[in-house]
Amino acid sequence: MTAAEAVSRFVRPGSTVGMGGQNIGRCPVALAHEIIRQRIGELTVVGCNLSISMDQLVGAGLVRRTICGSGNLERFGTTFCWRRAIEDGTLEVEDYSHLAMVTRFLAGEMGVPFMPTRSLLGSDLLRAAEKVAPAGGLGGTAGRTAPPTTPHPDRPVVIDNPWNPGEPVVLVPALRPDVSIVHVQRADAVGNVVIEGFATHEPEMMRASRHVVVSCEELVPNDEIRAHPEQTTVPFVHVSAVVVQPFGAYPTSTYRYYDYDPVHVAAYQAAARGGAGAVREYLRAHVWQCARFDDYLQRAAGRERLEALRRAMQEMV
Amino acid sequence: MIEAARHVRDGDVVFVGTGLPLLAATLAQRTHAPNVVCVIESGVIAPRVRPTPVSVSDPKVMYRAVRLGTLREVLGCLLQRGLVDLGFLGGAQIDRYGNINSTVIHSPGGMKRLPGSGGGNDMASHCRRLLVITRHERRRFPERCDYITSPGFLDGPGARERAGLSGDFGITVVTDLAVLENDPETCALRIAQLMPGITVDAVRAQTGFAPGVAPGVREVAPPAPEVLGVLRDEVDPDRVYLREDESVSAARR
Repeated sequence: MTAAEAVSRFVRPGSTVGMGGQNIGRCPVALAHEIIRQRIGELTVVGCNLSISMDQLVGAGLVRRTICGSGNLERFGTTFCWRRAIEDGTLEVEDYSHLAMVTRFLAGEMGVPFMPTRSLLGSDLLRAAEKVAPAGGLGGTAGRTAPPTTPHPDRPVVIDNPWNPGEPVVLVPALRPDVSIVHVQRADAVGNVVIEGFATHEPEMMRASRHVVVSCEELVPNDEIRAHPEQTTVPFVHVSAVVVQPFGAYPTSTYRYYDYDPVHVAAYQAAARGGAGAVREYLRAHVWQCARFDDYLQRAAGRERLEALRRAMQEMV
Repeated sequence: MIEAARHVRDGDVVFVGTGLPLLAATLAQRTHAPNVVCVIESGVIAPRVRPTPVSVSDPKVMYRAVRLGTLREVLGCLLQRGLVDLGFLGGAQIDRYGNINSTVIHSPGGMKRLPGSGGGNDMASHCRRLLVITRHERRRFPERCDYITSPGFLDGPGARERAGLSGDFGITVVTDLAVLENDPETCALRIAQLMPGITVDAVRAQTGFAPGVAPGVREVAPPAPEVLGVLRDEVDPDRVYLREDESVSAARR
């Protein structure tokens, strides 16, 4: 399937989009570009660390809300469009820790409504959390009934550990994205996915999602998957569409395939820092004026640069 | 950086945050703590970090790791599970009780949004010792953080336990002026060591609260030449971090 087909079929206005990748590693840049190209808006973007792809979606004016543990590109600075939109009051945010976000996806993938964690306790990440009195069944306190109000669907609650009354425990609600977009190393045509190297929050998030669209560096035969089934990170039952897109994470890295490109990351960051006009100009040149992702790769990097990034990675693994 | 590395003990399982902590942990590994086990939140376990990483997802961080796994494995199965000795963070805002704000700063001019918790809240919640490396500026050391992203001692003695966190916790803050540690009685940060040539008054002038002074406060030992050599030649030979920080501390003096 092409990126255009996969995105138009599975990403809808108002969708909750699970974002793969972390910082400068394996961000789903090609798939996010396609969402921007099709201008699919009113999105809620969720993930652990959200970086360049989320920032470009925000810069394109397509995001209403983010739910995440952090937004930044570390040494390359913060996610400037995201920061500006929050400070301007045009973007809603729900803040979590990274473990708390993974725990939300873990509940989602396990088919349970919530999951406990001991993170967030005492912090202002819980400030908005409802304090839930132990219910009869949960806390074991005879005579108590469940609280009359329903907690906010995206916020944690604190309960007493039913097995150790007096010990506070945080419950985080299951998070099931409408669609997750993830760039991976290898997949077969039916959607068996092999992620090599670090996998961040992606396995939990993908299995929690109603649909998953992956882009991959290489399409492999189903026989190859079946020859090494222990290497399958996520089986096809969770995956809705596979798009073949070499360098689909550029300018971020893909482990075993290519390193990140500090020059282009910095170029995007300069535009993002520069304000709404500069971001629009960047997106016009690199997304809207590029009919295909390969046109962007040619414009932003060129074959020689891409090969150099490939060699830089091969030297490291 | 060199002083921060000294607080990493040989054999420690260290949960390493991005930026200077990655560098200092690498320095420790290449000098006095060869058996340190670095854990990085993107899912990396026990790597031999190559110079000079700029991100927790930088492939240089993954070099010769024993496992490249998931966030849940390292933040959940190691950190929350209680298997990490030391959490090592770069700081944004840190207050009297060692609470850290990396989410939002409110000022008369409006709000300034910061990156958020990342794994910071998880580290401060579940590590037995927390090591923070940051520049010593008054705005970074307020009396009370605008927003507590990562819990230190919250309101003081007993507050962590009341919140449901382990009270078996200590915090060390290494800056370009001093080393601060929590007072075991009051839980407030106090001056434990001074950088060479820096006075208590100079530290207090750059701190938004009035830190106490630990008994027997002394000067930080100067770096051994061979350690400095490892830092300059092996850990950050391209001067991704060092030049900037050296010039900052030089300008101060």
